[in-house]
Amino acid sequence: MIAAPALFLAFVAFAYGHEPSAGRQGLVVPAVPTQAVPETTSLAGRAPTNAPPHELSDEGGISRYSAVLRPVLVRARPSASSRIVARLQTRTPEGTTNVVLTLRRVERNGQLWIQARLPILPNNTIGWIPREALGGYNQVTTHLVVDLSEYRATLFRRGQALWSARVGIGRSRWPTPTGRYYIRNKLTKYASPTYGPVAFGTSARSAVLTDWPAGGFVGIHGTNRPGILPGRVSHGCIRLRNADILRLAELMPPGTPLTIRR
Amino acid sequence: MNENLTLAAVDRDGAIEEMLNGIDEEAAASRGVFLKKSAFLGGGLIGGAALLALWSDAAEAATETDIAIANFALTLEYLEAEFYTEAVQMGILSGALARFGKIVAQHERTHVAALRSMLGGRAVAKPSFDFRGTTESVSAFRKTAQVLEDTGVMAYAGQAPRVETDAVLKAALAIHTVEARHAAWIRHLNGAPPAPQAFDQPKTMQQILTAVAGTRFIASAPAMTRSGQSPAFTG
Repeated sequence: MIAAPALFLAFVAFAYGHEPSAGRQGLVVPAVPTQAVPETTSLAGRAPTNAPPHELSDEGGISRYSAVLRPVLVRARPSASSRIVARLQTRTPEGTTNVVLTLRRVERNGQLWIQARLPILPNNTIGWIPREALGGYNQVTTHLVVDLSEYRATLFRRGQALWSARVGIGRSRWPTPTGRYYIRNKLTKYASPTYGPVAFGTSARSAVLTDWPAGGFVGIHGTNRPGILPGRVSHGCIRLRNADILRLAELMPPGTPLTIRR
Repeated sequence: MNENLTLAAVDRDGAIEEMLNGIDEEAAASRGVFLKKSAFLGGGLIGGAALLALWSDAAEAATETDIAIANFALTLEYLEAEFYTEAVQMGILSGALARFGKIVAQHERTHVAALRSMLGGRAVAKPSFDFRGTTESVSAFRKTAQVLEDTGVMAYAGQAPRVETDAVLKAALAIHTVEARHAAWIRHLNGAPPAPQAFDQPKTMQQILTAVAGTRFIASAPAMTRSGQSPAFTG
């Protein structure tokens, strides 16, 4: 018989991909088929329903995001015959997991569909994705608001402001796009001083610099020129002083909804 | 039992306070028990003090084997707590099934808090979950809840004989019997026999692991942070 501690360590390595005292990076998905939970992933065979959509994110209090598990076509409506609005991949240009901010869920003829914000042009596009193409829900209670006219970013948690800083935004010919977006990823320990010590990727894209490498995504990052902040100084990104971006990096998890307004 | 028990002494990371917040006050009231938090925290209630002592005694007595078993149980409780909490939040449950979901979610969160309070810094982290639509469909929820509860009962039954100290065994049994009630409850709601046989067959840790793996409910967390990758944002 295997001793319980040894067996549990094996379990942890199996389920989590690491020892109990380690961090949570490197989780692996167990793939052993079983009959433990029959019909858990198949929703076929149930009576068609057309219940009203259920809200998943209010983009201010509780919001949820999910990973894109496989390349998938996004539809204009929750129907496989609806117009295609985008094709999503599983990775971002930065090599992180591609996620979408999930807004609503609806069931149509036995199929679950998720309405999500999309990292595509035109900005503020939303579309419907088959539920099975997305991973589990991850919840955040933060919300970042960037006020372009005030040159100010404010982070809220459950509606309460907990951090704020002045920022640099896009020049008039490369404007920072307004609308509703989300934080896609966080990059650290890179060798690009112009971006400061931390850079967040967002789902917002420059409507002007469409030929920019990797698609012209708008970032939120530090700078090696703090003296020109705040103001209209960037190609569309939101620049912060390095102390401010470091503090923001401590407080704001990826997946956080982002509102950019005038 | 520790005669000079205080909340601060045993509540290493706030888990017990979380546990107290999770106690089903409605059910407690129906038993005529007053669980006012202030009095509870002041040690003025025998039931409350006994509950605190149950888990602090387990924490003091636990051997390495007991710690491993408790972490195994904690992982199952994380899974159950997240499953019910998400199902309730998804708004799919109604009537008796909604009541079951809300109460059991509260119980499972309380079990998580209790085990975390016992394990302190040795508690395993909560994994990421992907319930694969089972929290978003009533029929899938019913089936999955029944399997999870039956599995939980068999898991505790399988580990109980391996527990090395009485204090930990008492704490584990306090959860085990409640899991059995959950199993009977969801079976009743599903139209299945609440107690289908005279004897339950315990399952080994390996059998439980296989069942958990098969659900694929424990999933990789999205990798959204990266080091060493230079940004290509518009700048």
